[in-house]
Amino acid sequence: MTPPKSPRRVRRSTLAPYLFLAPFFAMFAVFWVYPIAYSFVLSFLNTRRRPWTFDPDFNWGRLVQDEFFWNALQNTMIILVVQVPLMLAFATLLAVAFGSDLLKAKGFFRFAFFAPLVLGAVPYSAVFRLIFNEQYGILNFGLTSIGLPSVPWLFESTPALITIMIAMTWRWTGYNAIILLSGLQSIPLALYEAAKIDGAGPLQRFFRITIPMLRPVLLFTFVLSTIGTLQLFTEPWLITNTGPGNATETLVTYLYKQGFRSFNFGYASAIAYTVAIIAAIFSLLQIRLVGGREVDR
Amino acid sequence: MKRIAALTIALLLAGMASAQTLTVWVWDINKPALESTIASFQEMHPGAEVVVEDLGNQNVYDRGLAGCAAGGFDMPDVYLVENNEAQVFWSQFPDCFTDLRTLGGEELLPLFPDFKWAELTEGDAIFAVPYDSGPTAIFYRTDLYEQAGIDPTSIQTWADFREAGTALNTTFDGTVKMGAIGKGQDDEWFRMLANQAGCFYFDEAGTEITVNQPGCVSAMETMKDLWDASVLHPAGWVEQIQFLQNDAQASSFFGSWYGGTLTAEMPAEQAGSWGVYLTPALEPGGVRASNLGGSALAIPASSDNPELAYDFVVNALADEENQLEILFEYGLTPSLLSLQGNPALNQGVDFFGGQAIWQDILGTLGDVPAVSGTQFFQEARNVMIVVVNDYLDGNYASAQEALDQAAQQIAASTGLPIAD
Repeated sequence: MTPPKSPRRVRRSTLAPYLFLAPFFAMFAVFWVYPIAYSFVLSFLNTRRRPWTFDPDFNWGRLVQDEFFWNALQNTMIILVVQVPLMLAFATLLAVAFGSDLLKAKGFFRFAFFAPLVLGAVPYSAVFRLIFNEQYGILNFGLTSIGLPSVPWLFESTPALITIMIAMTWRWTGYNAIILLSGLQSIPLALYEAAKIDGAGPLQRFFRITIPMLRPVLLFTFVLSTIGTLQLFTEPWLITNTGPGNATETLVTYLYKQGFRSFNFGYASAIAYTVAIIAAIFSLLQIRLVGGREVDR
Repeated sequence: MKRIAALTIALLLAGMASAQTLTVWVWDINKPALESTIASFQEMHPGAEVVVEDLGNQNVYDRGLAGCAAGGFDMPDVYLVENNEAQVFWSQFPDCFTDLRTLGGEELLPLFPDFKWAELTEGDAIFAVPYDSGPTAIFYRTDLYEQAGIDPTSIQTWADFREAGTALNTTFDGTVKMGAIGKGQDDEWFRMLANQAGCFYFDEAGTEITVNQPGCVSAMETMKDLWDASVLHPAGWVEQIQFLQNDAQASSFFGSWYGGTLTAEMPAEQAGSWGVYLTPALEPGGVRASNLGGSALAIPASSDNPELAYDFVVNALADEENQLEILFEYGLTPSLLSLQGNPALNQGVDFFGGQAIWQDILGTLGDVPAVSGTQFFQEARNVMIVVVNDYLDGNYASAQEALDQAAQQIAASTGLPIAD
């Protein structure tokens, strides 16, 4: 026998959770919803001179034919297509090594490969700039001492892009390996035992059990790395200064220059929306292609 | 209650302390230079403290723009700004800086040359006080030139400079280069040479794009000529200093303020083996002067102590004694008109082997054409860094084609028309 609820009590009790959520939603509205919406509006304004005027073609029209934008997009895509798969392949191998019974001092190695992420981006970039210095850097010293030619890492286009990819790989492989390791540890050992009994070798076990079972985690790291690469800023900004010329310009460094160097918020917003759209398309594609079978099940 | 009272007192004390403290944002050699004026400033204002912070050139600009965009948040009391870059502040954020007329700034107008004021005033408002200028020159190592048998007085044109560089390459087997260019890092060489030829990104009124005019074309061709002859290292700011410190570079082409950087950064054993000669001409008998950089001090409107900040700026920049000290100790070229013809300029400088370099360098100031950086300076510069790099790499058939491309780019990003 429960007494009938008064309408007021019902209202109050449904209000309470919203009140608890209100501080978050207030923050979310001010720092997320508002800038996202406002930058959409900005992308249609000519913000070159005050007063700002409505002129959709000024930014979106420029974007289509802006060679510097297409160059930045191309650089970002090259990094995405070359660096991300390589890094994830390394990370998978590392994760297997981390999980292997043969490895002693696992804690130490896991930390050591994760450590680059703990380091601040600025000192790490400064050190990389020194390592890749053409005349006095240790990398070229190593190359020349084994008879290879010295490479102008920071002053020629392709070497500069490679420098960025090496730096990113150094920084993020361990991080992805730790995520993959957690996925690895959730694979039931019984599968491996059964495969062993059926006579599967280590390579077969890796390709037939480990990789398929890791698929969801691999997809996760793949999507994360893709979005991370599309937002790439730190390395080209601090190591190569987006140069030589615009050889290591990425979408976000270009966006930053337009927004905060040239003070062209309209164009920067148009670039930002383009990056977001590309990221969404890529994530969808990857989920369809890589995760497709997972979804079917 | 007690705690609140204590907190209030602490806050009040902090407030009082900051009331007497000026923060100044600068880069590089400007830090010790401006610090050298603090003692005389404190004689006028006993108890006032000045903190000069070296943030680095680009960071001062970036943080200043961000601060102004945020409505004057996180700004210092005194702000160092490059002349060329200054107009973006006045046009985008006219309320971010104090109009110095409100502090009596019109008294300063006759003390500095008009070409310095062009970028520092907007309409009637005065937003910054001229600090140093950057008349260009070649700084060179007398010992390295001598070893390669190069006579600096015979270098009259850039073609002579290239030939000397070839001689240097032969003597040192290519390990010591004649100079360095920030290829793909900055376009200073382009701006210095173009200025020499009377050309710039924009016309003097800042209303048209002139980057593909003949003067700029010859600047590009000169650079390509030197680059193809392998007489220049590719080097950013830091790399160039490394080359110089390691005796791998025999000269540097920069604004006169680079003398201060050399004095501060070079190892002691290089003191006395440096010299200066005038910028080589683009063609025989051509102009041997141009300007790169030079800066000014502004007072953000958010300063709690604009009067105190103004006194600091005036004492540092309009006082002959302080300016002479800044010149001789830190190598920053004064813009103060009353110093021209001052006998103190005939003084030899030890670091430069006793050469009276300031008389030579300041003597060129009158030949420098005035330019307007406009509020689009950074846009145009970002375009030119890329175009110069690609042109030197041989990606354009001609300098004219490269600059036409650059003009198109700058037009698309600024909305300004390209001059005929």
